[in-house]
Amino acid sequence: MSYAYLFKYIIIGDTGVGKSCLLLQFTDKRFQPVHDLTIGVEFGARMITIDGKQIKLQIWDTAGQEAFRSITRSYYRGAAGALLVYDITRRETFNHLTTWLDDARQHSNSNMVIMLIGNKSDLESRREVKKEEGEAFAREHGLVFMETSAKTAANVEEAFINTAKEIYEKIQEGVFDINNEANGIKIGPQHSPTNPSLPGAGGAGGSQGSSCC
Amino acid sequence: MFRSRSWFGGGWGRPKNPHSLEHLKYLYNVLSRNQTVSEHNRGLLVETLRSIAEILIWGDQNDSSVFDFFLEKNMLSFFLRIMRQRSGGSSFVCVQLLQTLNILFENIRNETSLYYLLSNNHVNSIIVHKFDFSDEEVMAYYISFLKTLSLKLNAHTIHFFYNEHTNDFPLYTEAIKFFNHPESMVRIAVRTLTLNVYKVEDASMLAFIRDRTAAPYFSNIVWFIGKHIQELDACVRNDADHQSQNRLSDLVAEHLDHLHYLNDILCLNITDLNQVLTDHLLHKLLIPLYIYSLSTVRKPTGGVEAIAKALNQKLNLNESSSSSNGGISHEPSTGKVSCVVALFLLSQVCLIISHSPVVQTLAWIILKSDRSIYDKGVEKLLEAYELEMKQNGKKEEASGSENSFKDDVIEEHKNITDEEKQRLAITPTESESVSEKPFLETVYNALDCSENDYAALFALTLLYAMAYNKGIMPDINEQVLRPKKTYTSKTLSRDVRYTYNTYLVDKLLYIVLLSCQPSCRVRLVTLELALKLLVQLVMADGKSVLLESHKLTIESAKTQSTALLRNFYKSEEIFLDMFEHEYCDMSKTSLNVEWLCMDSAILLPPTGTPMTGIDFTKRLPCGEVERARRAIRVFFLVRNVVLTLNGELETQLPLTNPQSCVQIEQALDLSISRYNSDLIACTVLWKDGTKTRRFLVIDVLQLILVEPDTKRLGWGVAKLVGFLQDIEVTGDKDDSRCLHITIHRPLSGTTTNRVPLLSAKFVFDDNIRCMAAKQRLTKGRIKARQKKMQHIARLLEIPGQSGPPSPAFVGGGLYNRSTGRGLRDRPFALSRGPGFAAPRWESPPGVTHRTDESRRHRDSDPKILKKEDRTPNRSRDSSSSRTKSREGSPRMPRPRSEEIPLELIKKASNSVIDMAPKIAIVPRPQVKEESEEVEKKPEEEVSISSEETSFIASERRNSKKDGNVETV
Repeated sequence: MSYAYLFKYIIIGDTGVGKSCLLLQFTDKRFQPVHDLTIGVEFGARMITIDGKQIKLQIWDTAGQEAFRSITRSYYRGAAGALLVYDITRRETFNHLTTWLDDARQHSNSNMVIMLIGNKSDLESRREVKKEEGEAFAREHGLVFMETSAKTAANVEEAFINTAKEIYEKIQEGVFDINNEANGIKIGPQHSPTNPSLPGAGGAGGSQGSSCC
Repeated sequence: MFRSRSWFGGGWGRPKNPHSLEHLKYLYNVLSRNQTVSEHNRGLLVETLRSIAEILIWGDQNDSSVFDFFLEKNMLSFFLRIMRQRSGGSSFVCVQLLQTLNILFENIRNETSLYYLLSNNHVNSIIVHKFDFSDEEVMAYYISFLKTLSLKLNAHTIHFFYNEHTNDFPLYTEAIKFFNHPESMVRIAVRTLTLNVYKVEDASMLAFIRDRTAAPYFSNIVWFIGKHIQELDACVRNDADHQSQNRLSDLVAEHLDHLHYLNDILCLNITDLNQVLTDHLLHKLLIPLYIYSLSTVRKPTGGVEAIAKALNQKLNLNESSSSSNGGISHEPSTGKVSCVVALFLLSQVCLIISHSPVVQTLAWIILKSDRSIYDKGVEKLLEAYELEMKQNGKKEEASGSENSFKDDVIEEHKNITDEEKQRLAITPTESESVSEKPFLETVYNALDCSENDYAALFALTLLYAMAYNKGIMPDINEQVLRPKKTYTSKTLSRDVRYTYNTYLVDKLLYIVLLSCQPSCRVRLVTLELALKLLVQLVMADGKSVLLESHKLTIESAKTQSTALLRNFYKSEEIFLDMFEHEYCDMSKTSLNVEWLCMDSAILLPPTGTPMTGIDFTKRLPCGEVERARRAIRVFFLVRNVVLTLNGELETQLPLTNPQSCVQIEQALDLSISRYNSDLIACTVLWKDGTKTRRFLVIDVLQLILVEPDTKRLGWGVAKLVGFLQDIEVTGDKDDSRCLHITIHRPLSGTTTNRVPLLSAKFVFDDNIRCMAAKQRLTKGRIKARQKKMQHIARLLEIPGQSGPPSPAFVGGGLYNRSTGRGLRDRPFALSRGPGFAAPRWESPPGVTHRTDESRRHRDSDPKILKKEDRTPNRSRDSSSSRTKSREGSPRMPRPRSEEIPLELIKKASNSVIDMAPKIAIVPRPQVKEESEEVEKKPEEEVSISSEETSFIASERRNSKKDGNVETV
């Protein structure tokens, strides 16, 4: 299937926050939410449409690979977007966000779009982390925030698509160097770059020395 | 899309409950009726496969009969049959099939179910199936499937994948075919899989990996890394103008990924694998390419290539005997990379890899190998290393005490001269000329910063990395990178003599001295690292063993860095804010060398322009403000190291001692003189409309809003505290009883958006009180800043710091700097007012030190001090300029009243050391009604009575004289 862009995402967060369920819910929403079935997957791809353009999302779950530093490092670097997930019914998963974020910021390219997700919003009665806290954390660290439920599918679409929209906007602004696939963005087969070399971040050279007095 | 259509329209007897054995039976029927994939049924097949995944997981968690049925009907064989068909659109079906398998293996909790699924070898058939890997979607799902399987590996499940009898391990062998796939996520998945495989403790499987795959796999990796760094080198060579930073940063990150991967393998501690890998790394990459790139020009060029060739042949022989996969040619790259790149890459290696056999060898070759062996090539180098290690082992066994007698017992340090000590410090290791050690010589030569510090930074990172690498045995580092401890007396363990690498310390100190020159080309990061290494080199058992001559050098570096910073004192209006900000910034984080070496920006020649996006410490300063920032940092860095070496603690910094500050909710006795003079009642009108009744207390450094304490009469509880230096006060045009007060947050550097601590309207009882408050706040702000500036002046040993700081500076500050006089914006301006207390600009490099010394000499001469009286027109001058700068506000405090009163100055000058804590508890002086004459007097007294403050006289005379000369 042809697409204009392919965005690679990673999903990060403590174990048991529902990362793989979110992923499966998004890529294959026909998995019916059933009360006694938890089902997830580590990889998925799906096509979405933004601004009339076909965009393919590839989502890689990094669970179970934290033991190897080389692996986490490379995952972060190869992604254009990251969903940072915590469980609203478990305070500690929220408390670990800073660690996750530090890791992400250290290894990823600076343009990576990070979305903060408070999952399991269906379990209102067991909630331990207030929505406002999530919002405040997101504001403080410059993230987009959303509460979702992989079980009821609430906001799942929005979470992935809003992240994609933000990446798309960054591409339009020329922030992402789309010719560099290491950024987690790929141009579709028929969209071979007609305008070569969009200026990448920080690539401004040329005027060296002139600004010195 | 096909998914939206309904596939179960027909009367196939679909059960209502999707989670039931009946439903699976129904799906089985669908599969058996649609064994051939066609355009028409592929949607149906996809939906069926998807449903099978769901129902199997449900069954695994709820009803075991579901799984029994699945196995009984051998449904996995349907999967195989489907994927083997190459009909139109089969990739659709393949993708769903792989995803179903993914879901299956990902979610199965029941171990028996897992064993059953794996038992009939279908999974291995699926693994070896040749999917259409050109389809990136198929590729992604396929590799995810393999990765998911690898996560299920353990001592039991391994036997389903690795067949001992047929010597077959498709999961692994199929996966490593993609290790260099262009898609990064695929490569990562392959690496994950290999690591998951190695992790399984199964001797025969590991033997298979070692014997059948390790040689080709590892040599391929090593070959690609070699190819990769050639690219990196080319990128560095061709990019002096920072044009391809992105590409370079990718290449660097890629190299790091490789190293981390290799390190992850080595850390699994599988002896057999590690041997093979270490061998490959050393023979084919690290020594021929990395280390030999360090060699100097003197080296015969033919040698290496011949060796490489011989080595190549030898290795090829090895491979052909052990591997079946010889697709890639394994010639080690004969070309070399530039010295800078080699140093950088070696630093990364030593920072990341801690596997002793690798780093130990590297360190030995770099630090110890001499020219004679080096010329013979890689093999000989390694042989020599092994020989040395063996000998060392023997030596230690044979004579434990021999070392103690190597040097004669020397007398007490005090009784010998510096020269003697220096000579004694030189040990056999150093007495052999450094030039006999080709690699070490290159590293040392790279430390030369006279032109720039491009290579020096990497030489430092490499030395640092070797010094701190846990895999390098202490005996290799000793003397070169660590002080050597020798017992000078056999009986008394107290008689210890320390020696250290004086040659290297000389080099480092030279970098430090250079950094203290006004227009040097040493970046802050280089200085910081040099200092860090210096401390490492000369600290033994918690104290410094620095020789007297080196001590003098570092002290003079301190003097020079102080002199350098003195040039900027007050030359920038925001000096105080900068000073505090830089301190805060620096104390927050110390240099992380590993992170430093992740930054590709340092691989390009040092530049000054901030437009490259390079961090301030990693480039040269641009413009006067940055030069001031740099001088501040140099000062802090050198000061800190001198303190460390002297075993002292910092008592002067930060400027604000947090312990002496009032905290929120703290109860204060407002009857004591410190507070009671300034209790002004007011109502605070917050932005959100709320009102609170508070008392305003103006302390020495802080503004405090208190609420009366309900428990104790005369006490108050602090409800809000802010620093006076950060306040902004404006009157209200419409209401003379009102003030608008903003308190900015102290510069902490953590948050970029500085939301004010407080921004509110204060209403006072009448306009007199309002004016009084305004006056005190304004004055408090000026004084708080003055006090800190004086503190800085003392730190910088600026003579005469008790005089008033430049009024424009104090009044201006950060928040209204635009009102500052034009002169202030040009620090080089020579026509400074005569009242300016700072010394003259001392820019010419090399001269700095001398002028400084001479001034010190002159200043300490009491005769000159007495002769030189204050210039009579000075205060008038400065006060007139002050009024000028305040024209805008009609009711400003009278200029002279900004002088610091006598008691403060006396305290300050007598007790420089513990000034910081004292500042805060000195009673706030009453100054508002003092007249100009009264105030002049105390200052005059001070300038005579105290030696320190009397520096002002001579200095002032100087500056005035200079000023005259220049203005005339």
